[in-house]
Formats: sequence, C-alpha cells, structure tokens
Amino acid sequence: MIVIFAIDALEYNLVEEFNCKNLKQKYYGKTDISEFSQPRTMVLWSSFMTGKNKEDDVLEDGNKEMWNKKWDIKETFFSFFENPVVLDLPGFSYDLGFHGKSRILLKNFFETKNLEKKENLKKEYNKDAFDHHRKIKDKFFKALGEDRDFVLGYFSVADVIGHLNFGNKVIMKMIYIELDEMAEKIKKNKRVKSLIILSDHGMKAIGRFGDHSEYGFWSTNFKDLKTPKITEFYELIRGIKNES
Amino acid sequence: MKVEIDNEIIEKIKERIKDMDEFDSVEGYVDYILKQIVGRLEEENKIKVDKEEYSKEDEKKVKERLKSLGYLD
Ligand SMILES: [Zn+2]
Repeated sequence: MIVIFAIDALEYNLVEEFNCKNLKQKYYGKTDISEFSQPRTMVLWSSFMTGKNKEDDVLEDGNKEMWNKKWDIKETFFSFFENPVVLDLPGFSYDLGFHGKSRILLKNFFETKNLEKKENLKKEYNKDAFDHHRKIKDKFFKALGEDRDFVLGYFSVADVIGHLNFGNKVIMKMIYIELDEMAEKIKKNKRVKSLIILSDHGMKAIGRFGDHSEYGFWSTNFKDLKTPKITEFYELIRGIKNES
Repeated sequence: MKVEIDNEIIEKIKERIKDMDEFDSVEGYVDYILKQIVGRLEEENKIKVDKEEYSKEDEKKVKERLKSLGYLD
C-alpha cells in the first residue's frame, strides 16, 4: 500500500524545532514551490495530484470560486490505482461544508471589534477544526486497515489553527505532537509499504497570527528527493506503483 | 525598607481597622493594600501584552494575506 499523509501548512522549521522524528522519517526536506505566484492551498494540491502547474486553471474564476474546483480522477495519479481512497483533499474530495463554515468564522473574527466576541469566535473556530480533524483521522485509519493499494488523507488542522494561533507555541506544539503520533501509527501498520508525508506550504508568524511560507515539507521512508517541485510527485508515484 | 506615612493617614487606618479581625496593626493593613494594588497592576499589564500581541497592524496584514490566498473575500 502506498500512503500519503497530506498535511496543510506543515512547517519545516517547526518539525525541526519540536523534533518530530516520525514526521521526518528517513529522508526529509523542503519542496520548491517558487514557480507559483502565491502559496495557495488549492493551486498546490491541484498541481500535486495532476502533475501540472494548475495555477491559471484554479484562478480562472477568481479567488472565491477556486475552492469549488474539482479534478476528474483521470487527470490525477489516483487513476493509476485499483481501489484508492482520497480523503478531504482540496480539488478532489474536499468537504466544502466544513471548510466553508470555517472561513465564515474567520471572516466574523476579523470583522468583530468586540474582544470578548473575538475570543469566542476563535474558540469556536479552533474547536471546529479539531472536531473535523478527528473525523478525517478516523476515516483515514479505517482505510489503512482495509485492502487498498493507495490511501491519501488530507489534514488541515495545522493550517486552520495556525492562521489564528501560529504565535502560540503551546497550541502549535500540541498539533505537531498529534501529527507526529499519527505518523508513528501509520508506520507501525504492516500494510504500509511506501509513506510520503507532504505539505503544500509551511507557515510563518505575523505576531500571533500565521501566514503561508514559501516552501513545503516532504518526507519519505524510501528515497531522498532533495528539493522536489510539487508537480514531480506525479511521476514519482507512478514509479513506486510500478515497482510494487 | 521603612516608609514614612502621614500621621493623619495612620489615624484614619487605625480607626478603620479597629473592628476588623484580620488586621492587628497598621503595618499589616498597609502591606495588604499594597499587595492588592501591585497585583492589579500586574493583571493590567498582562492584558496590555495580550492586546499588543493581537495588534491592529498584524491583523491588517494578515487580513490582506488571507484575502490574497483566498480565505477571505
Ligand atoms: Zn492556509
């Protein structure tokens, strides 16, 4: 089984700082996303699964519409597999209901002047993100227990929480430890042959808040990828699929 | 450290604590009041630090970035 643990906004520097050994695996590094004008989540995952720079296509109807974009499986490397599972991935199986609500809370947070209301909105926003994380996590580990040749789980908690809390090391460390423990659990699963952990971009602090950084994180248990472009994973996965 | 206090104030404090069980001296009362004030100042300072961390400037910057990344319209 080939597994991709896709983590939005997993930051290389924090993986190092908190020494998340399981996330680092045997080989790890940064990705090169400099070909894109901005580190946009939807653009990056779309380019990842199709192996093509999809920036223009994703943005053709504007920033607001981009979240509704969906790629046909035939355009993606998921089509190489017989019974793949792809959970919550932007541009493919994205839960628009949850992510839409999260963005409404974010909008209300910034529009509210009242500090107490702001604090409550942030609490609700954080809670929703953790609840959603648990939901996808359950589905992900269930799929890893099934007879599948490919499983991808996309986890947005580090990005969603990070945007309002990146300056809060206590919260961020808690999230990184959770993700590191998940990586450990994946690796213990005997069905898992090749594991790729990948983020679209990382994160940097603006005061208490978080902003996307200009590189992503990758790690594997089988090959040193140096500084890969996010579009190179398409052929890489074709390769390891054919070897197995 | 010794602190001089006006006689007039000492008299007023004596008058005030005369029926209070928790204070048997002017010193004890003064010490209590000072601790309260310092505690409150610390609290206020903390709130100020919190507000500063969520600064208006950062908020403006982040809002702009979130717009250009497609999270806000
Ligand atoms: Zn983000």
